[in-house]
Amino acid sequence: MLRMLPFLLLTSTLAAQLPPDVAMERSGFVAWLKKAPNSPLAAVARRMVDDGVRLGPEDADIPLPGTDEYRLYPATGGYVLEGPGGKHPIGRGRPYKIGRYALYLSGPEPATVLTVFAGAPEKEPPGYYDYDPAMVFTGPLTRADAPRKSRVLTAEGFEVEASEIGTFLVPLGGRTPLRVLRIPVPGSDESDLEIFFQDKTNDHGSYPAGRFVSLVPARDGSFRLDFNRSRNPFCAYSSAYPCPLPWRGNQIADSVRAGERYTGGGLESIPAAEDGK
Amino acid sequence: MIAELAMQAALALIAASSPAGHWKAVLELAGGQLPFVVVVEPAGRGWKGQLCNGTKCEPFSAVRMRGDSLVLEIADYDATLTGLLRADSLTGYYRNVGSRGPRTIPFRAERGRVPTPLGGRRLLGRWDATYFQDLGTSPRVLEFRNEPDGFQGRMITSTSDYGPFTGSVVGDSFAIGLFDGSFVYLLTGKLQGDTLRGIFHAGLRTQTPWIAVRSTGAPHLESPSEISRADTTEPLRFAFPDLNGQLFRSDDARLRGKVVLVDIFGSWCPTCHDATPELLRLYRKYRGRGLEIVGLAFESTGDTAVDARQVRRYRDKFKIPFPLLLAGVNDNQSVAAALPQLSDVTAFPTAVFLGRDGRVRRIHAGFHGLAAGPQHARMVRDFETEIERLLEEKRER
Repeated sequence: MLRMLPFLLLTSTLAAQLPPDVAMERSGFVAWLKKAPNSPLAAVARRMVDDGVRLGPEDADIPLPGTDEYRLYPATGGYVLEGPGGKHPIGRGRPYKIGRYALYLSGPEPATVLTVFAGAPEKEPPGYYDYDPAMVFTGPLTRADAPRKSRVLTAEGFEVEASEIGTFLVPLGGRTPLRVLRIPVPGSDESDLEIFFQDKTNDHGSYPAGRFVSLVPARDGSFRLDFNRSRNPFCAYSSAYPCPLPWRGNQIADSVRAGERYTGGGLESIPAAEDGK
Repeated sequence: MIAELAMQAALALIAASSPAGHWKAVLELAGGQLPFVVVVEPAGRGWKGQLCNGTKCEPFSAVRMRGDSLVLEIADYDATLTGLLRADSLTGYYRNVGSRGPRTIPFRAERGRVPTPLGGRRLLGRWDATYFQDLGTSPRVLEFRNEPDGFQGRMITSTSDYGPFTGSVVGDSFAIGLFDGSFVYLLTGKLQGDTLRGIFHAGLRTQTPWIAVRSTGAPHLESPSEISRADTTEPLRFAFPDLNGQLFRSDDARLRGKVVLVDIFGSWCPTCHDATPELLRLYRKYRGRGLEIVGLAFESTGDTAVDARQVRRYRDKFKIPFPLLLAGVNDNQSVAAALPQLSDVTAFPTAVFLGRDGRVRRIHAGFHGLAAGPQHARMVRDFETEIERLLEEKRER
């Protein structure tokens, strides 16, 4: 038995090693979170533009310490930012700098959203649980008889029209069928099969509102769900983002100690599970 | 003798660790392998290389060794292929960055030249395909030919054509791919009776089943001019920064009284790269008679510095003399918000033809490249006819 111990230790160590593709995915994402000027870690405010948004003073819709007063409002052909320097048209997806802040317009029309980023991110990315190969599941996708449209918030906090395509069964918390939605990737032929789930680690190491994980089709017709690739919604990086409502039925009565962690606060803003869907 | 053997072994080792040569490469998608070719050769004290789909090759913007890894940069799409170099293999990742963060797809390659298989007669020709999506179907035309470098496919939608797809064909089955640094597409299919059945793989993990039957010649796709619509009662209005950060408006003196072709494009969009030489030809041919072109770029990252860099690279690559403006990010909602007088703009590129009064006269969604043959020729004729007609209109503004 003692002669087998090194072998057992070795296999145990190997099993917990981070696969190179997961390592690459994580390092690339962490680098983006740390450095990108539109990293969600640097977001300080987000608001629907509607008829207009006042920025700057303490009593403004979006107070921006150290800046003059500005007003952003819709105008023919786009949006205008009016401030001490006059009026400036602002295009969507293009940052407009006010001092240390960058303003971005985005989101599906007419629900145009203003997001304000404050320079380089100061917060650190939240990090990951150790890789756990036991948190990888392969199985069939049980297709819905008639897929239907469903409006949901994406991980990035945008409302999109997704299609409910079925459920995927995981042997956690007994047997939990998780609802799967196909979420389109804007501007491409691609889409993701997404699961937004909650589990017992929420608020005890992982983000309280739940996490997203993708269901990946395999070559033999089955599907692979790797909870080690679970990722936070953007509201975990900054309270500027709205949190998606947890998807009814996707509550796992077990701990998923895999994927992205969370160590911040924000519990007061977590909504209850959605009803009626 | 021993010294000679040692020298030979050392030389063999040096040759084996050189990245130079032909590489049979694949991207490992969830549903299959997307084949393409990488060619690397010495250039001065460094390296240069090409990314090839069949005989269609594009140079890498940079090729370098970083430690034990070969790094191949595709600057047009802000993308990189990185592979750990062993004697006869490369193992690594394709990576690019969008507004949602980076995406990575496993990549590997082995030394050697790809075979050039020919497809059987039963596969060749034009097929009317139906793609099955969750909430409905959409039409495509698939076209298969045997070219000097083997079996090739094209996929034609109502708005554009994708190709060439190249790869393997065995009997009545095929797996052909298109990877140019931005598009990541794999088309697999098998002939069963008179029907082709297969899967279209987009990106790492999107799979769309399809079936196809031989084209009868009847129209199968929607006309590109029926896809997007516009408010034609008022001049088209827009105002976006140019590449120097200066605001450029639709009522700029440069456009006033001219027939204007507004090119909605993105530097990330390979079909836009195919379309630009044709726009430049039209510009040279008709500018003297009153045609002006302005490009509205909808880019990937939403990071102005990165997006402006990509569009400048695009401008310099094609030596574009007309204005290119940074209009937004590349999603339909962004286009809708930036150009609220247009609706249902879903294709990149989209050409919007304005009369001399600035009002929209015609919208053409997508672009059929040279390889689309008759469709390309017909589209070019249509463009020229439209421009000639608009140039003849009275000056009204």
